[in-house]
Amino acid sequence: MENILEVKELSKKYSKVFAADKVSFNIGKGEIFALIGPNGAGKTTTIRMIATLLTPTSGDAVVAGHSVVNEPSKVRECITYLPDEAGAYKTMKGIEYLKFMAGLFTTDSREIEKYIEKAKNINGLGERLNDKIGTYSRGMIRKLLLSRAVMTSPKLAILDEPTSGLDVLNALDIRKTIKRLASEEGMSFLLSSHNMLEIEFVSDRVGIISKGHLMVTGRIDELKERYNAPNLEEVFERVVLENEIH
Amino acid sequence: MKFINLLKKELKELINAQMIISLVVVMFLLMAVGNIMSSTIDEVSKTEYKISLDDRDNTDFTKSIISKMKENGTVATPVDTQGDDYAAILKDNNLDSIIIIPQGFTEAIDSKKKPQLITVSRMESAAMMSNVNNHVSDVTDVIRGCIYEELSQRAGITQEELEYMSSPVNISDNTVVDDKSANISVETIMNSVMMKNQILPIIVFVLIMMVSQTIMSAIANEKIDKTLETLLSAPVSRSSIIRAKMLAAAIVAMINAVFYMVGFSTLMSKGMGSTINTSMNVEEIAGNIGSVGDIVSTESKLSQLGLSLSVTDYLLVGLQLFITIMICLSVSIILGALVNDVKSSQTMIMPLMMLAMIPYMISIFADVNSLPTALKILVYAIPFTHTFSAMSNLMFGHDIIFFAGLAYQIVVLAVCMFFSLRLFNSDKILTISLKFGKKDKTTNSDT
Repeated sequence: MENILEVKELSKKYSKVFAADKVSFNIGKGEIFALIGPNGAGKTTTIRMIATLLTPTSGDAVVAGHSVVNEPSKVRECITYLPDEAGAYKTMKGIEYLKFMAGLFTTDSREIEKYIEKAKNINGLGERLNDKIGTYSRGMIRKLLLSRAVMTSPKLAILDEPTSGLDVLNALDIRKTIKRLASEEGMSFLLSSHNMLEIEFVSDRVGIISKGHLMVTGRIDELKERYNAPNLEEVFERVVLENEIH
Repeated sequence: MKFINLLKKELKELINAQMIISLVVVMFLLMAVGNIMSSTIDEVSKTEYKISLDDRDNTDFTKSIISKMKENGTVATPVDTQGDDYAAILKDNNLDSIIIIPQGFTEAIDSKKKPQLITVSRMESAAMMSNVNNHVSDVTDVIRGCIYEELSQRAGITQEELEYMSSPVNISDNTVVDDKSANISVETIMNSVMMKNQILPIIVFVLIMMVSQTIMSAIANEKIDKTLETLLSAPVSRSSIIRAKMLAAAIVAMINAVFYMVGFSTLMSKGMGSTINTSMNVEEIAGNIGSVGDIVSTESKLSQLGLSLSVTDYLLVGLQLFITIMICLSVSIILGALVNDVKSSQTMIMPLMMLAMIPYMISIFADVNSLPTALKILVYAIPFTHTFSAMSNLMFGHDIIFFAGLAYQIVVLAVCMFFSLRLFNSDKILTISLKFGKKDKTTNSDT
């Protein structure tokens, strides 16, 4: 399978501490890869380096053939990033926000309209898109932001905790959308989440990160077998405990 | 164009109905205050002096004084009071002021002694406008004049001789600026140029505060809502993000400047101008600004001295104002990046506020160029000082200081822009905060 993302020994050091230490993994075309780990494990740091927001201390990540270190502007053309607990411009209407964001990816007005149409179909907000974002519920904002993140059909969509703080129905809706876009459009996803149920449902492969180290990567069923665990939660527990012992 | 898209977004964020309404309200309030002050003072100046007067001496001499006052248009309402409990006298008779001619007044004058004239005024406030209505001193001047006239008549001095004695010389005031001179007094020049020189510092100060707060809040909000992360990961150059933010804030600043300029000009020219004119004595008003001809003559004398600003001068002042705003914007971007929340952005504005406050206060009370050398260098090291003293420097021909200041501001702007662009191009924009060296909690929910 063609790799959309190749992460090679990516490290980030803050003062004397490595928030991410030689993290390496790949994501194939149309694949959903989830980074899971306890709080402070280095998930967001790794994601932010791939999203070109943080400069790696060492190592590199190559997105669709472009290095985040040497060609960050090329990388930005291939990715979209949805930060954890991100907001949107409250004084803008939903439709204005989509138009503004689409305008950052292309100057072609027909393309912009196409992106907006796609976002409308994904978020299902209908007439509420004509209201100010300040009046939206948390679930509506998240749906708007997710539709923004995928409307340009990026080669890699990076979603940090895509369903955090959402109710069951909204979260389920978003998971289904991610799965559909990956299978139907061949869009690749890099996710991070605390929710093991979500990860089991949505991702093809996972990487378990702890204290800045990527401990293990693999398909969920492979990992369950390897760690003799009935579910991903127990795989996660055993990997993290193993890391603490070492 | 992506830059236009960014600029439109920034302008939409900054220009909203609340901002326009508050600007219009502030402008009209300032204009209204100016007009109210002006009309109040006009009203007061037109009103004939009404004063309560208690003639306790009650002689032919004091009666003749009161009748002369009436002839001069000063109506004194007679009241009958007793004792020296002045607070009680005002209260019982429901008065704000009173003049008392005590017993023995005429006798003292006849025996060539200085009699006492008692004045009592109620004071309720120290505000500039609160005591405009108090004409006690004007009336005592009238009484003094009447006594002077009476005594002159007794001494056989004619009316012409009296007028000559009251003003025995004609003073020809001349003022020199650099190598130019004109037949005009320093006071007249000061009264004429003071308004122009006071409006600019007020506008500059308001703009510095407003612009800094606007851009700091904009950066802080983007960091807190994580919309900045979304923007920075989009395929758009970081310099265009920063340029759009700065240009939008500069446009908003200019809109603010126009509204405040109109408001303050009205307040200063109508309100404060009337107050100053009222505080001048009658001769000065009549002599200096009493007629259109005199105003034209003052203006031509200001031109003669090189104190009138040309269109080029105003453009140069405008250029300096624009550079000042841009310096504020680039410094505010750096300070805004250090902010974790909107509340702390109010604290971060303090350094800029102090840098604006020092030259602002100095420009009101003194001329920076007249400060001791060490202090002058220190004050001119603050880039905003050059804008506060721009008009004065151009007016009084300190062109070298003005252009050196302009060059210095351009250098400061280049340095500030360099650092703010560098900040935006690095990951420091997301990781630095008020806790220097530590990671920003708001942008690092999970490492």
